[in-house]
This record gives sequence, C-alpha cells and structure tokens, in this order.
Amino acid sequence: MNFTFHRKRISGILTIVPANERSFVEEMKNYNFPESRSMKLKEVMGYDKRRLVSPGVCVSDLAVFGLQHLFDNGSLSRDEIDALLLVTQSPDHFVPPTSNIIQGRLGLKRDMLCMDINQACAGFVIGLIQACLLLEQDSIRKVVLINGDVLSRKTSPKDRNIYPLMGDAASITVLERDPVESVVHANLRMDGAQHEALIIPAGGFRLPSSPETAVLEDVGDNNFRAKDHLRMDGTAIFNFVQVEVPPLIEALLAQAGVSKESVDYFLFHQPNRFMLQKLADKMKVPYAKMPSNVVEHFGNGGGATLPLAIALNLARELETGHCQVCLAGFGGGLVWAAMLMRLGGLSFCQLIDFP
Amino acid sequence: MNDFLAKIAAILEVDGVRETDELKAFAQWDSLSVLSVIAMLDASYGVNLRATDFGPIKSVGDLWTVVQSRKRV
Repeated sequence: MNFTFHRKRISGILTIVPANERSFVEEMKNYNFPESRSMKLKEVMGYDKRRLVSPGVCVSDLAVFGLQHLFDNGSLSRDEIDALLLVTQSPDHFVPPTSNIIQGRLGLKRDMLCMDINQACAGFVIGLIQACLLLEQDSIRKVVLINGDVLSRKTSPKDRNIYPLMGDAASITVLERDPVESVVHANLRMDGAQHEALIIPAGGFRLPSSPETAVLEDVGDNNFRAKDHLRMDGTAIFNFVQVEVPPLIEALLAQAGVSKESVDYFLFHQPNRFMLQKLADKMKVPYAKMPSNVVEHFGNGGGATLPLAIALNLARELETGHCQVCLAGFGGGLVWAAMLMRLGGLSFCQLIDFP
Repeated sequence: MNDFLAKIAAILEVDGVRETDELKAFAQWDSLSVLSVIAMLDASYGVNLRATDFGPIKSVGDLWTVVQSRKRV
C-alpha cells in the first residue's frame, strides 16, 4: 500500500537508552551451547554490548525522562504538542493507554490526542505514517512520536535465539509541517498469516499468565523459554526479510521516481549486523550507506533502533545539513514498511542515557 | 558442485565435506549454521529455503538436490 504526504518534516530526534550495560561475553555461560559456537555467533551477528532497563522500569519512565529533557533544554514546549503517539509492545498496563499515562505524568494539555499503537520493529515507519496522517488536520501542528519497548523483561536469559540481541530503548521524534514544498513517500505490506513468527504466547487474554506459562521449556534446540517469554523464529524472520524487503524498497523508489544511487542513506531497523549486511549485498548498496552498528552498542530495542541508528551515526550531518534517506522497518506481525524522505535541518538529534 | 561443497565446508569450519556426509553429524551444525547456509544459498544460487525445508534434508547431497530443483536459471 502506497502513501504520499506533502509538506511534512521531522524536526528533531531524541533517543533514550538505559545506562545499564550488559556484555555478550559475560552472559555466554547462561546458554546451553559450547562457548566457541557462541563466540562465532558474536562475530557473525555483531553481538557485543547492549543496554537493558533495571527491574521495574517501564516505557513511560523512558518517555517521560526524554520529554522532560526536551522541555528543560527548550527544544520543545508542553503546550505545542497536539498529538502524542506511542508505538510500543510493552505498555505499562493493558488499561489505560500508556500515552495517556505519559500525558498525565507530564501535565500536558487536555486539548490533544493521545494514542497507543501496538507495532513491533516496523513501528518507526508506521508511527511516521500515522503522524503524517494527523498533520493533515488544521488543528494538529506538532506531533510527538514515541517509540519505546522494554521487552528484555519478557525474554528468557536461557534463550540464545533472542536474549543476546535484545535491548531496551526509546525515541522521541517531533513532526511538523514543512514550510517549503516537500514530498514523503511510503510503502507498506503486512502478512498476519505469519503472526506466530514473533510472539509472546501467554499473558494476554487468549492465554493468561499462570504458574504453568512461567515454566521454562526445552523446545528442542538447546534453548529454554516459557510461554510468558517473547519467542522468535529466527530463520523464518531472516528469510522473510531477505525475500520481502528488497522488492518493497524497489517499489518505493519506483513510486517516487528516485534512483537507488541518489539515496544518501538506507536507515533500516537494526535486528543484527548479519541480516543488514545480507540485505545490503542483495540490494547492491554499499555498507557505508546502510549503518548496521546499533546492535553491537545497544542491542535491538524494536522500533526505536531506527532513530537510534540516525542519532548514533548522523547526528552532526542532520543538524547542519540535509540527506535523502530511505527508512525501513520489518518484524512482528509480520509487517514491512519503508519511507523515502528528505531528512535534515534537525533542531536536535541526540542520544541520552536513562540513569 | 565442488564450489558448493567448499562453501558448505567453510560454514561448518571443516577442511572438506562429501555428498554422503550427514549434516547433523557435524558439531557446528546448529541454528547459526542453518542461517548461514540459507544466506549463502540465496546469495550464490538465488534459492530461498525456509528452516522447515531442512526437515527431510539429511545429507550434504540431499541439500544439493534441493538447490538444483529450485535454482532460478
């Protein structure tokens, strides 16, 4: 499905990562695999350091901390926020929406829209699309898009399939109208038939958490996880990304009438270095144009990894200049989505630690 | 074929493999190797295998047969 938006722009990006750092090498002994194979996994996937929240820290804590930072340094004022979108799969509660909790904790105005969106690793692009749709309204002049997840809290430390890549992170992206003519193109696809490829089986209404769902099970591949834990069919996800993402990007570029060569950066979701380099190979894009270094520093924090890749690699470039960028997210749902836009002139592009 | 055997041997970190070798007999045959094989087949032969496709594949030769049957010319 194609989308086209006129006169919309990102004006600032702030990313928030927990200060608490973990190391792959220190955690290897938790896994039921020979250390030599785990070292091989580290080398191939690019696993090293990652950031996890301390017990009890929720998405609203990261979001409130980040927004307060922006209020304190004058980058954003409370009253100009007309809509607050939160994309998360780890809400503080099922009821009420976590976006309302953030609104209340920060004392934001009542004449505004708050909305939670349940989306996974494609959540940054999905959130941008929703923000652009809202900006079509005269009454909405500034949208704050928050992407945040603390899914490490729902991951088994004995599951080498997913634990070593998990990170926790949040991002705050401000969108507003572009004073000059500009076009944003987006393209997305979804396939709910494959919804079990990334799933937390228990804890919702279908299968409520119980003592049984908390029991660690040997699933036959030397990994132990409970039904309460996030599980990922890694090879199915890898296959899906390699098969579906390149044609999505081709279609997006064709729709926009833009050549691959004129795109300065391909800023993609950051599952691991291996998957991104294979994508770059397949798309014939040089590695220098497709950053893949988020996982080795921070782990995969879901939808916030894409803005993390921006803040980590392009902060100065985007505060002082402009780039043509192709964004893409892909993951649970399954969902794959891409966006082509001119990005730059940001009033802030920063990465901060949550203490 | 020789090129294919060399690529499989590199993924399994051994000096060489034969068609009759059972994949599961290699200590290095784990989820990471499966992923590496899937990526290699996609890049070198344009063949996309899923993890479930590996069920009936026992030997290196079985894998080669599947690749041949799906190869895009």
